[in-house]
Amino acid sequence: MMRALNLSLIILSTLTVAGCHQEDSAGNEVKTSTDNSAYANEFMVTVTRPGTLNVIDMQQHKTIRQCDLPGGSIPGTLVMSPDNSTAYVLVNRFSDVVGVDIDNCEVVFSAQQSTGNIRVKSIGALALSKDGKRIYTHQNRVKLHSDRYELLEPVVAAFDSDAGLNAQAVTTLPAPRQVTTMDTLESGELLLGGPDIYAMDVNTGELKTLLASRSLEDPNYTPRDVLTVWPLSRINNEFIRLYSTAKFKGEAGDLDNADWLWGYEAINLETGEAESKEFGPITAVLFTGVRRPGHLDKVYATLNQLKEYDISTQTELRSVDLDHTYYCINFSVDGSRIYLSGGYNEVAIYDANTLKPIAKIQLPGDGAMANSVVFKREV
Amino acid sequence: MKHLKPLNKKAQLLQEAAKEGKQDEVVAMQTTVGCTPTTDPGWEVDMFGSVAGLCQPMEADLYGCSDPCWWPAQVPDVMNTYPDWTKDAPSAGSDWRKLDSVYPSDKE
Repeated sequence: MMRALNLSLIILSTLTVAGCHQEDSAGNEVKTSTDNSAYANEFMVTVTRPGTLNVIDMQQHKTIRQCDLPGGSIPGTLVMSPDNSTAYVLVNRFSDVVGVDIDNCEVVFSAQQSTGNIRVKSIGALALSKDGKRIYTHQNRVKLHSDRYELLEPVVAAFDSDAGLNAQAVTTLPAPRQVTTMDTLESGELLLGGPDIYAMDVNTGELKTLLASRSLEDPNYTPRDVLTVWPLSRINNEFIRLYSTAKFKGEAGDLDNADWLWGYEAINLETGEAESKEFGPITAVLFTGVRRPGHLDKVYATLNQLKEYDISTQTELRSVDLDHTYYCINFSVDGSRIYLSGGYNEVAIYDANTLKPIAKIQLPGDGAMANSVVFKREV
Repeated sequence: MKHLKPLNKKAQLLQEAAKEGKQDEVVAMQTTVGCTPTTDPGWEVDMFGSVAGLCQPMEADLYGCSDPCWWPAQVPDVMNTYPDWTKDAPSAGSDWRKLDSVYPSDKE
């Protein structure tokens, strides 16, 4: 295995590649742009160790604020308020939620989910209503008796975002197990990413399946494999997660005669429309992938490589090796730059047209499984 | 489970739960009884049975996987019993020497 031979971490550096002409995936000559003017007032917010909420100026390529998070950084799943002023973060080892004003680092909201002898863990499943008034978590609950553990049914808990510190859930609703990502539809329904993707009526708790994933029974395919803890919907107002599968070319079940494919499952958060498509062959492990803003026919994905796929032809257009693993992909608001984070302690910026590196931003600790949120806001 | 043999009471309980059709109750066990029931191949092989697809370097992957209990055999249970294991090591690549072994204390 590739143990860390290179322990001298790369210090903040801006890589100048001006004048370097490249071709995009369509064969057009393009130049890696080093002009940062398009990224004025663009920010990334992401969490790292040792319990830090980082606010990063994506034009200046520097961290402008680092807020201490009560309860540490794990897992660091975050969602932003609609006005992009408050970050709500899952902290304290999957147990608590805090809200932090990113302009002054004031903690404006906190909810300790475990109470008494009931231990609660939320595995990345945190969401905010579109009006910013309700915070939702998916709670895995266990009652700790002196002689045994009693597993309780999971629930979705809702908190008022203006409840301040030590907020209590205003309602809880029965929920399916294994939910690792959530989001909210503009209809007000809560989206739950679990074995399938569900929509929940948050008033009645009624659940419907928007997109069948694990329950999908297609003899031409193996069951889908999904791994995700990264809410990435701010990019295209689209809930998205990757899956892997094998498509049998001959007899059903014959894995020796099958195409191994990556696909994505997406929900349009405005309309609730569900979409599921394969977009390319499996040639490497990928953790996150999103469609490029303004080029929704392309998927970009990452782990040890940064890859670009054409959805309609299901082909891998380009791939570059990364200097280390990055779990989480994101885009500039205009879709021209790719922002990689998670895993290690850096944000890397790539040109989306050329897949050339543009800059790196050093962070105070490892991002691990934290997501990132990118937005523009007047300062 | 037919190729696995329980070696302790916890493993026996897991096997019995599976026999009783309670598989749903043993998923995400790290959220209930801790990291130890989680089984995962860990850093040894990737999805192709090789190593080229593993996260690189291993330190870039350490916290992202130890935090949610993916490798219980190799690292302490940060989620439940050893929450401060990485407290003095914000970045595994530069601080790995501070990631020490852990031992039960008398009160545990």
